[in-house]
Amino acid sequence: MENGLAKTGSGKSLLNAIGRNWAIIFLVLEVLFFSLVAKRFFSFPIFQIILLYGVPLFLLAVAQTMVIITGGIDLSIGFVLGLASVVCSKTIVVLTGAGISPEAAIAVGIVFTLVSCSIPGVINGIFISYFKVPPLIQTFAMFGIAHGVAELILGGVWVKNMPHLANKIGNSYLLYFLPDTNHISLLVKPVVERGTEIVSLIPNVTIAAFVVIAFFNFKLNHTRFGRYTYAIGGNAASALRAGVKNNLHLIKVYTASAFLSSVGGVLYSLMFVTGKGDAGTSFLLDAIVAVVIGGASLMGGKGTIRGSMIGCFILIVLENGLRMLGVSTFDKYIAVGVILVIAVLIDKATVKEDT
Amino acid sequence: MATHLMSLDQNTGKQKIANIFTGNWVYIFMFLAITVFSFTGRGFLNLGNIQNIIHLSTILIILAVAETFVIVTGGIDLSVGMILGLTSVTAAKIMQLMYAAQYPLPFLIGCAVLASLVLSVAIGSLSGLLVAYYNLPPFIATLGMWGVANGLALKISDGYPISFIPPQLAEIGNSFLLYHRPDKGLSFLFPPEGLSRQSADLFKLIPISCIYFGLILVVTIYLFNMTRFGRHIVAMGGNVEAAKRAGINLKNRYIKIYALAGLLAGFAGVFDLFQVGVGNFTRFSAMYELFAIAGVVIGGASLMGGRGKVINSVAGVLLIGMLESGLLASGVEPYFRFIAVGVLMILAVIMDNIFPDRN
Repeated sequence: MENGLAKTGSGKSLLNAIGRNWAIIFLVLEVLFFSLVAKRFFSFPIFQIILLYGVPLFLLAVAQTMVIITGGIDLSIGFVLGLASVVCSKTIVVLTGAGISPEAAIAVGIVFTLVSCSIPGVINGIFISYFKVPPLIQTFAMFGIAHGVAELILGGVWVKNMPHLANKIGNSYLLYFLPDTNHISLLVKPVVERGTEIVSLIPNVTIAAFVVIAFFNFKLNHTRFGRYTYAIGGNAASALRAGVKNNLHLIKVYTASAFLSSVGGVLYSLMFVTGKGDAGTSFLLDAIVAVVIGGASLMGGKGTIRGSMIGCFILIVLENGLRMLGVSTFDKYIAVGVILVIAVLIDKATVKEDT
Repeated sequence: MATHLMSLDQNTGKQKIANIFTGNWVYIFMFLAITVFSFTGRGFLNLGNIQNIIHLSTILIILAVAETFVIVTGGIDLSVGMILGLTSVTAAKIMQLMYAAQYPLPFLIGCAVLASLVLSVAIGSLSGLLVAYYNLPPFIATLGMWGVANGLALKISDGYPISFIPPQLAEIGNSFLLYHRPDKGLSFLFPPEGLSRQSADLFKLIPISCIYFGLILVVTIYLFNMTRFGRHIVAMGGNVEAAKRAGINLKNRYIKIYALAGLLAGFAGVFDLFQVGVGNFTRFSAMYELFAIAGVVIGGASLMGGRGKVINSVAGVLLIGMLESGLLASGVEPYFRFIAVGVLMILAVIMDNIFPDRN
């Protein structure tokens, strides 16, 4: 009798464990599947490409995670990314045009962008907390405003003539390795004869993105900022009674979200050496999907950056895997829709068994 | 005590005036927009321009009506824009195949429209099913269907617009009810003989799109205001628990509401096909669903549910259309329209927060 009970208990907890960690299991299965089916999928260059071109999505997903934990949603991140890419590239071009050295221009451009493009987040936070505008409406309105401002700055043409140094920063790697001569060089691409093999390791952009992500992961897991964020999402009224300044904290969270998006925009403009108003459009819904797959609840109070990153990897591996299989990427959208629904269904089933 | 009562009385007087405006700010905004643009924009108040605004807003109006039904229950439907594209592409594909096989025109149009509408209802009901039986948040369920509909539309169209469909289609979609030329007299539906539709001195009245969405509006307003179904929707949005206790079959209602939203999106897709004459899948940059939601919100509906009117949502969309046309006519750069729509939405919500509905 007792034995039987224990057995069903352990069976249930096993199911629960699978349910709780299904995202990472799914990711492993996905990688296995594509490695078996697609030629050369399981290779270092492919993983590096995934890490490189996933950068905007990673940053947006982290931004979305923090907002969703508070029970809100941020639709403006995609266009704030675009706006930041425009502001950054435009500032750099204008400054170099005025005769300032590229190094100084790029540094000033980055700092100016990070500061100015966090303002949409501050405005979002103020209207959501003090004027009680629903997050969906406020951030959608900001999405329109950011889009409009970016296009106004651009005036119909993408930014051109960025200094060569920007390209060098955005598209170089931490380590270069020459297998023939065992020569290693840091950050600077060695000058070699044409046809010589160079192994490039770890893109700079990825390092920058992951430093920022690690910082916010630390903030969310180990500081008061994180505890307050979860508290507001779990129960706003009781957080207020426990002494959390909800309004102020919401402004901080939305500002952090805009800041992360503008980091994405800066990296985008360095990677592609241009600024585009609609640079982040296609990442917006992907970011929400990644966060939900990662186990966050739109009701708030739940979600982790680790989970969201796994969600991102599921989406990017899917896209790249399908492309390598030669299947049209149109199937990606269907798959993403289905995965999203299944993710939430599994989540609901797991929670039910817990209580 | 007495003073307290008196102040209450005064409040109700004020409240009465406020109640007229609550949820109806859109008409005041509209009045302001018309006044300002008729001064700043040349030709804004032309009959032709106004007809044009309505004609171009048709798709968004139909989508906003669909969105109103969902938003009043406290949900949201992100899939309508993609269902629109899917319907348009499916109908176009069927027409293309049947046109090549030389079926008679009315038969092939009927078949294609019917089949694509069935598909749109199916996708809508699927969201409804997920919301009703599996308690999925509407945001997630319809975002899932967003992906499925988008993927299907891209697969059917192979990423290109579908052409080689009967050319009469666009003629029907862009015709007017009445044509008038002083020397040739009135003619219905088709321009007078020997005149092309583009000729300058031809007086055109009431685009066919007006009649199309007029019919849809009449039916949906009847559904919303005068049937038990409509009252149930408002009740569910006000308080789901109370609605359940009152004996409303929530599951049935949810499925019907999302199916209706899918059907209306399908109607919008069919209209798009008739207007453009080419089957287009929905592009990311179109953002139909978001602009439809903007129209509904500007029209005074609450995303919390329980409040909203079909006719106000239509006014909200028309206001967006007016802004676009008016800004263009005033010579402002077109990018300002995104900013204007955003500001307008925030303003509409703040107005309703300042003057809350006490009823």
